[in-house]
Amino acid sequence: MRLLYFCHPIILIMISEIIIGNVCKKYPNGIEALKDVSLEIFKGQFFTLLGPNGAGKSTLVRILTTLARKDSGHFLIAGLDPETDYRKIQKLIGVALQDNEIDPAGTVENLLIFQARLFGISAKDATQKAGVLIELFELGNECRKKAGELSGGNKRRLHCALALVHKPQVLFLDEPTVGMDPLARANFWEIITQMNQTENVTVFLTTQYLEEADRYASNMALINEGKICYNGTIAGFKKMVNPDRTLSLDDAYLKYIKTNHRQ
Amino acid sequence: MINSASFLLIKRCIVKLIKQPASPLTGFGMSLFFLLVYNAGIGGIGDLEAFGNAGYLSFVFPITIISLAMGSSAGAGQTLNADMQSGYFKRLYLSPAPRTILVLAPIIADTLSSLFFSMLLIAIGAAFGVVFKFGLLSVLGVLLLSFLWSLTLCGFSSGVMIRTGQHQSASIVTNAVFPLLFLSTTFLPRELMQAKWLLAVSWANPVTYVLEGNRYLLAGTSSAVFFYLAVLILGVTSVLSVIYALSGAGKIKV
Repeated sequence: MRLLYFCHPIILIMISEIIIGNVCKKYPNGIEALKDVSLEIFKGQFFTLLGPNGAGKSTLVRILTTLARKDSGHFLIAGLDPETDYRKIQKLIGVALQDNEIDPAGTVENLLIFQARLFGISAKDATQKAGVLIELFELGNECRKKAGELSGGNKRRLHCALALVHKPQVLFLDEPTVGMDPLARANFWEIITQMNQTENVTVFLTTQYLEEADRYASNMALINEGKICYNGTIAGFKKMVNPDRTLSLDDAYLKYIKTNHRQ
Repeated sequence: MINSASFLLIKRCIVKLIKQPASPLTGFGMSLFFLLVYNAGIGGIGDLEAFGNAGYLSFVFPITIISLAMGSSAGAGQTLNADMQSGYFKRLYLSPAPRTILVLAPIIADTLSSLFFSMLLIAIGAAFGVVFKFGLLSVLGVLLLSFLWSLTLCGFSSGVMIRTGQHQSASIVTNAVFPLLFLSTTFLPRELMQAKWLLAVSWANPVTYVLEGNRYLLAGTSSAVFFYLAVLILGVTSVLSVIYALSGAGKIKV
């Protein structure tokens, strides 16, 4: 199910990285978290999924990363079906969820090395990769500290570094910069945009920091009460909300949500 | 085949147990207590004919092996529980490691730790004069029974812990098994049991077969049939316990 798009005058070949078709999810308490969600994200795209709290963003991320099961519909990651190829998918994806999934008893360096080794990287390469990430995320002074002893911001940095240690092809970032100071956030986005631009890594981001989505993402979808309300470019969304004047994504989003809620 | 990720996860659980050895050390301490204090206190009754020629120490030694696993299983799955509490389990779940090994690794680590302390107990027992009738074969037989018994208890304990999400609940299995010790031939041979109901219950009690199987290997005071039955019973219960633990894996919230 890989689609090829040919655009004139320059031929652009766009390969689907994530295909989501009619995915539904209902929780045991009766809440319909996702209602017929269909999306297509292309290889190397920086995509952001926006929506209010409880709209279904994290549920979709959990399903796509195989942490949760969908009730119906289908999805493919890099052409792989999670029902049969979840272990292959795990090798391709890097995931940083909302909570810090860190072993508090492990040191920063050891956790990074262990994570790399779990993905089949040799001990020597794992140590090297851990060193690079420690430097990139400015954790040099903390590398021998136990993760449980780190400050909130540094835990977050380690959490994000762990998601990148195996050089993933697709990155799922669910509110990744919550708790980071502005400098750490800027540093984090520099790393992610570099991976996106130079290594063609596909990024699937959910965030409430809309200025980050505005600055780094090219495409977006808006989800509300489990339904996709908009799917397209960020520029297209801004234009749709206010054709006369260019709004920031923050303003366009607020205007759209307020109007939608009134309706 | 066990892949490198599985091996890494098992190794991690063993390292965690070495760093936090409270549970296996408790089991080991309890076993030493049984071995030394019981022999010192009531060892004299070993002179009775029903205890055979090897003395009370060889008779009481199997209970040390049984209590060792009980102590270890009371803290079974501590690494798994800590990972569940910290959220790190989610990260492991997102790795390419087989998901069954995330549950199996702590059980294997707990069982191996129990096996290690069994070896230590055997060495201490031998130093104090416990008789091993078939030499090395006896030692291997005792270790086999110890392994299967530990796997049974650790598997069930981890299964309970996974389902309840609480580490303390792992001790439920130990508490449930504890009365079985007193309903078996733990302290006296069958010939000296006076209550017929107790004798009848002891035949239905799997602990009796583990004890008597060990006694066949040590002083030879029991029949070989007990050893074979013990291997069969523990083989079945250990498989069931692992199935029980693995079937609970889907209930872990990630």
